[in-house]
Amino acid sequence: MLRAAAVAALVVLAFFLPRLLGGTSVVYSTLTTIAIFAVMCYGVDVVLSYLGEVSLGHTLFWAIGGYTAANLSVKYGLNGWSTAFATIVLSIAAAAFLGAVTLRTREFVFSLVTYAAAVVAYEIAFNWEAIGGSDGIVGISALKLPFGVATYTGATQEELWPIAFALLLATLAFIERFRRSKLGTTALMVQMNPPLAASLGVDPRKVRLAVFVISAPITGLAGWLYAYQRAYVGPDMFETYFLVMMLTAVVLVGRRVLIGPLIGTAILIVQQNLLSLGGDWNKIILGSVLALVLIFWPAGLIGLFRRFVKSNA
Amino acid sequence: MSKSIKLAIALLLGLSAPAMAQDIKVGTIFPLSGGAGPDGQSVTNAVKLAIQEINDKGGLLGRKIALVSKDDESTPAVGVSRANEMIAEKVDVVIEGWNSPVTLAMQPILARAGILDITAVSKSDLILAGETNPLAIRINSSNGFDAGVIAKYVAETLKAKKVAFLTQNDVYGNGFQAAVEAEFKKLNFAGEVTTTEKFAFKDTDFRVQLTNLKTANPDAIIVTNSSNSSGLPAMVEQYRQADLKSAFVGAVGIMLPTVFKVAGVANDGIVSADIYFWDLPPFNAIPESNSFVTAFKKAYGVEPDKSAALGAAALQVWARAVEATKSLDRKTVAEAIRGKTIKGTLFGDAQFLPNGQLQPRYVVFKVVDGKTAKLEALK
Repeated sequence: MLRAAAVAALVVLAFFLPRLLGGTSVVYSTLTTIAIFAVMCYGVDVVLSYLGEVSLGHTLFWAIGGYTAANLSVKYGLNGWSTAFATIVLSIAAAAFLGAVTLRTREFVFSLVTYAAAVVAYEIAFNWEAIGGSDGIVGISALKLPFGVATYTGATQEELWPIAFALLLATLAFIERFRRSKLGTTALMVQMNPPLAASLGVDPRKVRLAVFVISAPITGLAGWLYAYQRAYVGPDMFETYFLVMMLTAVVLVGRRVLIGPLIGTAILIVQQNLLSLGGDWNKIILGSVLALVLIFWPAGLIGLFRRFVKSNA
Repeated sequence: MSKSIKLAIALLLGLSAPAMAQDIKVGTIFPLSGGAGPDGQSVTNAVKLAIQEINDKGGLLGRKIALVSKDDESTPAVGVSRANEMIAEKVDVVIEGWNSPVTLAMQPILARAGILDITAVSKSDLILAGETNPLAIRINSSNGFDAGVIAKYVAETLKAKKVAFLTQNDVYGNGFQAAVEAEFKKLNFAGEVTTTEKFAFKDTDFRVQLTNLKTANPDAIIVTNSSNSSGLPAMVEQYRQADLKSAFVGAVGIMLPTVFKVAGVANDGIVSADIYFWDLPPFNAIPESNSFVTAFKKAYGVEPDKSAALGAAALQVWARAVEATKSLDRKTVAEAIRGKTIKGTLFGDAQFLPNGQLQPRYVVFKVVDGKTAKLEALK
């Protein structure tokens, strides 16, 4: 009961965070971006934390969300619910296909195949004029979410913040449930103790496919909202900028920590926007952080913190 | 607190704070790091010089201009963050754009915030489509105009009967070819397009395509190739080795310094066109261009290229319009530029079309000495 109240208080506080930080348009846009990017990272987090696999192909689902929102809203004038629904369907379909193809692959090969899929998709998006081509799609109108008689319109960063916040909250609730679900615990068992899983009659391939498919619409919906925030979608959604962001944000704080990717994303965006050292240096830092964390503290900042506490105790 | 200290503080505040607040802020967003970094720095430097020139003459509307420069890292997502920072800094105008996707991503952000946005270099036609920014302004030439000048040269000056295309197989290459073919139709071109050979952006071996073209033996081959550091120099070398007799007509803007540096004498005889050369007419007779070239050489030790000129021209156009309207308002200034002629820029009298596109003045040229990049303007 007390815990629920504390969580509720924290949620309310987080919702008003932009206003507490001054309420300027930059604060709103930065926090909205952090929320969207964090949701994007949670898709990768599910695969990395519970399957122990590094997906280099999640930019594909991110782009599916962006391209679906852009194409359907610009060409057919569909509202936000329809484009979100289409995003979920398409990203699940793509993940089911990619998951089935990579069913027998592990570790390095899995990463390579998912990366190859993203590269192929990038080439298609870059060259296929009907969905935007190398110039992308402009003129995405404001996000419209009709609720019965009234319609919520997200045109400005201030108006998009509640939507991004709700999406982030829904994602956190989903991940929290997933961690305790049968699928979540089985996935962890398949990763940590394959013989035990086998002796219990678990089909690891089924579990892997299910987890991979579940992860896709999370990143996809982040891409969906990003399209409305930016009002422009192009093949840059496949850029390594997003891929490195996803991986670093997840491993930085530590795997299997519920708010880990959120904190990781916040740290990275704040560094880039407020403590920027210039383009080349930012990339060097981001790459080095990723490498250093993986080499020295595979358990992330949380692991480092725990080790520190232990050695002091 | 004694009276004199109070007075001193009041004086200090009175002198420093309002003077700072009165500065007019010009923002630039170009790639300053990564592969396009040197190009973006050159454009930014050019804007800085153009600002300095105005400040040296007493400023704009009696106020000094301050530059706020940011790096988009050639990444649309980063450009969007930088555009938001410009909004926070309350700049009066943003001059931006090396890569079209970055421009397209930043445009709606700046437009919604009511900040005037001038695109210096990015070429996509979508930038002027009006969907993301109804008050768009662009200095660099558009693909449609570029195609027009090349088509006209091939059809009317060269009077070619048989024409071939050697086309980069992507939106840029195919789009340019389609535009040239459309221009041919408009000109009632008597000749015909006999051959089209395609290649990928990353290709460096064109011998198969060149052999086919040699067999076809057209009067002119129209070439698009935007890989200026490897693909195009290799193509030029192989073109000479294959000993083709057809005229090599390069698309607008592809003959960059790297092509001359790598392929050297093999470039001799190539015909192409561009919209600014500091040492060729009409630009070497424009006083604003000459003084800019002198200042640029003095400050940075090199001659300004086209993109540097585009950056400086963007600032000059904006400043003249602000001067004329005595306003910094986005709509007022944009409307004084779109569809109007701005005098006294390094492009001479800069004439803008109603959609915000600067009407380019092309120089069709022939490479006389590829080694020193010496060009000759064709009439």
